[in-house]
Amino acid sequence: MSEFVSLFLSQFQSPTLGFLIGGIIVASLGSQLAIPDSIYRFISFFLLMKIGLTGGIAIRNSNFAEILLPAIAAVALGIVIVFLSRYTLGKLPGIKVPDAIATGGLFGAVSGSTLAAVLPQLDAAKVPYEAWTAALYPFMDIPALVTAIVVASLYLSKKTGGDIEKVEIWAIVKESLQSSAVTALLLGVGLGILTKPEPVYETFFNPLFRGFLSVLMIIMGMEAAQRMNELRKVAQWFAIYAFIAPIFHGFLAFGLGLVIHKLTGFSIGGAVVLAVIAASSSDISGPPTLRAGIPTANPSAYIGASTAIGTPVAIAICIPLFIGIAELMLGR
Amino acid sequence: MSQQVWKLVIVAEEVLSKKLTKLIKEAGATGYTVNAAGGEGSRNVRSTGQPSVSHTLSNVKIEVLTGTRDLADIITKEIEAKYYADYSIITYIYQVEALRDHKF
Repeated sequence: MSEFVSLFLSQFQSPTLGFLIGGIIVASLGSQLAIPDSIYRFISFFLLMKIGLTGGIAIRNSNFAEILLPAIAAVALGIVIVFLSRYTLGKLPGIKVPDAIATGGLFGAVSGSTLAAVLPQLDAAKVPYEAWTAALYPFMDIPALVTAIVVASLYLSKKTGGDIEKVEIWAIVKESLQSSAVTALLLGVGLGILTKPEPVYETFFNPLFRGFLSVLMIIMGMEAAQRMNELRKVAQWFAIYAFIAPIFHGFLAFGLGLVIHKLTGFSIGGAVVLAVIAASSSDISGPPTLRAGIPTANPSAYIGASTAIGTPVAIAICIPLFIGIAELMLGR
Repeated sequence: MSQQVWKLVIVAEEVLSKKLTKLIKEAGATGYTVNAAGGEGSRNVRSTGQPSVSHTLSNVKIEVLTGTRDLADIITKEIEAKYYADYSIITYIYQVEALRDHKF
């Protein structure tokens, strides 16, 4: 047990977590430090492009059947997480159901920054994983957002007694696919599969990845501290949900990953990636989709919950936790 | 030559930007101008410039020049019906003098 604790604690000294916590601290202290929006956008593009390329190159050399079960698990998790929130958070006193559904949608959706954070940590801990697991991102992200918007529309039309307003599912899927995060990732996957990007990969994307990731972590930390103010204006249940949900979703996904591990030999590192994808909550592409799709839900509630607490918990607790468990299972 | 026209200003959430400009064009306005905007209202501080990750908390200010008050009213009514209830949005109007000869 003490070994596990020391493994867990050593993760806090990793650059990823250190920079995240640094960002939270400086923003809480009211620092004027600002990283331009355009740089933030470029960095998130760069990181997802690199992850996509890695995944694409891996898919080129792997068996498509291997990917099938984890992809189905990702879709199922994305949908289940929304219903979990609807019937737990949504049942609590003083919580409006659309707010709970939107929060569930955001926590079911995936964060590119969290995904970018877990992969180098797995490399550093020398836990092997299939590089294509990163390509599971849209398989969880899109079903979660679609489910949230459909469930919210059904709930609202039932409540008002009106006709069920037709939800344009294809429009939501299209919007998610067109979002900058998913586009960058899928473009990378496509280029990885169809072209031979190894020269640029080795000289540009791979060497710069960890440096850009650390800058992104500062931004995410600062963003978390700023969104905290908004979270304070909504019910405390959102903060409690935002703390527990990533860990719970992570265990759910890790369990599913282990079942697939037994069935098909999916790696334990891959189960960690699946767990962290489930633990993460969308920061970039999810909020605008939900804002447009569930207008009655309060954005301060779901964005505050996700950005101020969900993402830091996913990065600072879930990543070291699941890597620690994986290391124990690998008998280290 | 100058002419009296109406200037309709809409300050709204950035996520609505595309929908609003589509609505404005479809109502028959000849053009519009969009700026990034920030400020504070009944739905908390909304700002630009900060590295706001999702842009869900950013605002835009859209200005439309219309030749008639009717056209401006049509646009306002449609915006009111669709977006007032759920979004941070405000509209106001004033009369201005357009300096360039142009068919509004």
